[in-house]
Amino acid sequence: MHDKIRAAFGEIHAEEELKNRTRAYIAQQMSARRKPSGRMRLIPALACCLFVLLAGWGGHHIYFSPYSIISIDVNPSLELGINRFDKVISVEGYNDDGAALANAVDVKYLDYAQALTRILESDAVAPYTSGDAAISIAVFGSDQEKNNEMLSQVEACTAGYRNAHCYADDMDTAAAAHAAGLSCGKYRAYLALQALDPAVTPEDIQGMTMREIRDRIADLSGNSASAQAQETDLSSGGGHHGSISGSRKGKRHHAYGQ
Amino acid sequence: MRNEQEISAAIERYADTVRRLCMLHLKNHADTEDIFQTVFLKYALHTEPFSDADHEKAWLLRVTINACKDLLKSFFRSRTVSLDELVNQPAPLASDHHEVIEAVLSLPQKYRDVIYLHFYEGYSAPEIGRILGKNVNTVYTLLGRAKQQLREKLGGEGDA
Repeated sequence: MHDKIRAAFGEIHAEEELKNRTRAYIAQQMSARRKPSGRMRLIPALACCLFVLLAGWGGHHIYFSPYSIISIDVNPSLELGINRFDKVISVEGYNDDGAALANAVDVKYLDYAQALTRILESDAVAPYTSGDAAISIAVFGSDQEKNNEMLSQVEACTAGYRNAHCYADDMDTAAAAHAAGLSCGKYRAYLALQALDPAVTPEDIQGMTMREIRDRIADLSGNSASAQAQETDLSSGGGHHGSISGSRKGKRHHAYGQ
Repeated sequence: MRNEQEISAAIERYADTVRRLCMLHLKNHADTEDIFQTVFLKYALHTEPFSDADHEKAWLLRVTINACKDLLKSFFRSRTVSLDELVNQPAPLASDHHEVIEAVLSLPQKYRDVIYLHFYEGYSAPEIGRILGKNVNTVYTLLGRAKQQLREKLGGEGDA
């Protein structure tokens, strides 16, 4: 019986076709398993998403980071944050009149030259720009070339105004002004006044118009020419703000009190 | 994961063994092909090394028998395969061999594996016990009863 069973089972063989189909199936399964899994295939997609997010975040950061500041001081003290694409990204009032002006004129995301023109031509500023009010417009930035370019634009915008004083300085001055709670333009006037009257404080300056400050400087220094000289000194290399070099530095568009 | 050459060699080496076990459990070609695919895919994915050829063969026998049993008791099969389908489908055999195979296939399922493993593969009862996961005494009992039933069917002389 043993031999019969052995012989009978010995005659059973797997068909070649069955073996070949099995080989093909296993090869196909193995190759599918060697391909990256679903989770692995997600990695490039996730990397793309991450790249887009980072690019978006980076773009947002670059667009909304102030690269320069334009400080406008008449009585209203207003500062415009300008990004590296010359667009206004923030408008901040540094006194009550400045805050009111910031609310009254909508200049956000405008080109800074356009924004400046709109502010100076607005009804809210008109009462201040008429008469003999002093207008101080300062450009602050770390990039000297950019400062020069912006100063030219600002001068062009203020060409029609008497008593407009335009100048450029570096960001350190802006930081010091903000630390004192003053707009940049007023801070420079404060420094000029403080040189003549050490008792003056930033709080005293906050409520004064630029004209009042200029007059005070003029009184203390004896004449208006001295006041201009004081201010100009701060703008030129001798001042402790000393920043941008060259002919642009401390350039006056119009002399005060003319 | 084994390479293609290893898998192809294993198919060549063990295809007949798997085919015989499939014949003992299954009655149609599609199921046999399913078992071939299942068993050799498991072999391809089995990364633990075998201590020797006997170890490898015993592993393959156990995997094949388990795969056949799993297939037979699967929900799908239990609902869709009728007993009428249990028609023999082995390769063409000489008439006396056909008679022997038919006698083996007529035995209850629990006897077929032990008959095959003992008479054809030459395993002892303890070895069959390890492959099937059964107690040695149970294997002895199964073997004894299977032999007796086969003797009755084939009318031959006994052997041990």
